[in-house]
Amino acid sequence: MSLPVLFTPLGDAAVRVVTPLARELQAALEARPLPGVREVVPALGQLTLLLDPLVVRPDLLEGAVRERLAVLSAQPAASGRTVVVPVTFDGPDLTWCAAHAGLSPAGLVGALCAAPLEVAFLGFTPGFAFLTGLPAALQMPRLDAPRERVPAGSVALGGPWAGVYPRATPGGWRLVGRTTMNFFDLSRAEPVPWRAGDWVRFEVSRD
Amino acid sequence: MIEVLRAGVQCTVQDAGRCVRALGVPAGGAADPVARRLGNALVGNPAGAAGLEITLGGPTLRFHAPALLSLCGAPFGATLDGEPVALGRAVAVLAGQVLRVGGTPRGLRAFLAVRGGLRGTPVFGSVSTDLRGGFGGLEGRALRSGDRLAWSVLPPVAPGRAFPSPGLWTPLGPQHVLRVVGTPELGDTLRGALLDRSFRVGSQADRMGVRLEEAVAAPVEPGRASVPNVPGMVQLPPDGRPILLLPDAGTHGGYPTPLVVITADLPRLGQLRPGDTVTFREVTLASAWAALRVQEGALRQAEWALRHAR
Repeated sequence: MSLPVLFTPLGDAAVRVVTPLARELQAALEARPLPGVREVVPALGQLTLLLDPLVVRPDLLEGAVRERLAVLSAQPAASGRTVVVPVTFDGPDLTWCAAHAGLSPAGLVGALCAAPLEVAFLGFTPGFAFLTGLPAALQMPRLDAPRERVPAGSVALGGPWAGVYPRATPGGWRLVGRTTMNFFDLSRAEPVPWRAGDWVRFEVSRD
Repeated sequence: MIEVLRAGVQCTVQDAGRCVRALGVPAGGAADPVARRLGNALVGNPAGAAGLEITLGGPTLRFHAPALLSLCGAPFGATLDGEPVALGRAVAVLAGQVLRVGGTPRGLRAFLAVRGGLRGTPVFGSVSTDLRGGFGGLEGRALRSGDRLAWSVLPPVAPGRAFPSPGLWTPLGPQHVLRVVGTPELGDTLRGALLDRSFRVGSQADRMGVRLEEAVAAPVEPGRASVPNVPGMVQLPPDGRPILLLPDAGTHGGYPTPLVVITADLPRLGQLRPGDTVTFREVTLASAWAALRVQEGALRQAEWALRHAR
C-alpha cells in the first residue's frame, strides 16, 4: 500500500514531508538517522527535515524517506505516556469561553477535563506543546490583539488547540486557568516533560 | 578569567548553537558563523568553540591571565592597553591587559574568540545564550559590567603568521544582495513585490529577526496552522513588512514564508544593520548548492591553513 506523501523543498537545506505517518516517521528518523539530516521538526501531519546540503540534497533524500515510510505503514504506532496537568480554573477568559461554548463555567471545566487531548507537536517557545483533540464546542477564536504578556503556567485555548505557556510570553489565546507544572525546567534531567504522541489530561487542582 | 569592565551594547556568549527545535527550542549560535569559524581557527579552537558575540558597540575587558584571542567579523575598532588590535589576526594578551572594543562603521557583529573557548553550562549541547528564553551563556543574558568569564585553558601557542584572505569575510553592506529560493507560497504577485527591489533594514534588528521597512501586500490567513521555520526564512506578517529570521527565531510560525535565503548567504543576515538596504535575488536550488560548495571549500581550506601555519 502506498500512502500519499508530499515532499516540498524549503530553501536549499530543508524539505517538508507531509504524511499521515509524520509521527511514526519522526520516531524512525530519530532512532536511525538518515545521513545528512540534522534535525527533524514536527508540525501537524508533517515534518520538516533540516539538512546538511553538503551531505545530502533534498531531491536525493526523497527515496530514502519513502523507503522508511513503506516499512512504517505496516507497523502500529507506539502509544505515548499520559501527562496529568493540575489546573486552577480562574483565567480571565473563563467566563467568556463558557458563554461562547454555551456552558456554565463549571460545565466548561468539566468538558475540558474530560477531553482526550494529545500532544501534536512542540514549538513556538521552549516546551510549548500544541494539544489537539478539543471537541468543536471548546474551540475558541483567538484574541484580535495578542496580550503582550501571558503569565507562565497559563492554560489557554486558541482555535483547534489547547496549550500551557511554559514562560511568560506574548500570546493570543484565551486564558482559562493556570498550572504550577513547569514544562521547561533546565534543572531536571528531562527539561521538557512531554513529547509529540503523549496524552494529556487536565484535572481540577486540589490546592 | 576575563573581568567585564564595561559591558558594551549587547555581548552574548555564542557557539555553533543547538539542535532541539523539536522541543520548541531555538537554534541560537553566532549570527555570523563565518566570523566564528575563522576566529576559532585563528586561535586553534574547534570550529564550534564558544566565544563572545559583540553587537554594535563593544565591551571593555580585563584579562587576568595570558590568553590568545582573535576578533573577527565587522571592523570594530579595538585596542589592547591602548595599542590598536588588528582584526582577523591571532593576538597574544598578557595577564592584566585591557581590551577595549569600540564601535563599527559597517556591519553589526564581531566574534571574539579566546584560545580554549569560553566556558558555560551546556543546555541541550550548547552554551549559546538564548536571551528570550533566559538560558545558556552567562545566566541566559547579555554581559553586564562586573561579570567574569572563564575559558578552558589549552597549551599555549604562539600567534600564527597566517591570516584569512579578506575575500572570505562575510560582506558587510550597507547594500546587500541576498540570494533566495522561493517556496510554494511565492506566487507571481509576491515575486513581483519582493524580488529585485530594495528594502531598508528597520530598527527592529535583533538575534530573532530583522524587520524590513517597506511593506508589500501580504496574503492574510487567520486560520493558518503553525509550521516549522527554517534558517533564513523570510516571513510576511499581516502588515506586509518582511521579517528575516535569525538564529534565535521561534521554531514555528504561522505567517506566510515566500522566500528562504540560501545557506551560503545566511552569515550576511548577522551583519544587517539598521539603515542598510537589502535586495532579494532569486536563484535556482542548483546554484544555491554550488555557491555553498565553493564557500565551504574556501572556508575549510582557510581553517586548515590557519591551524597549521604556526
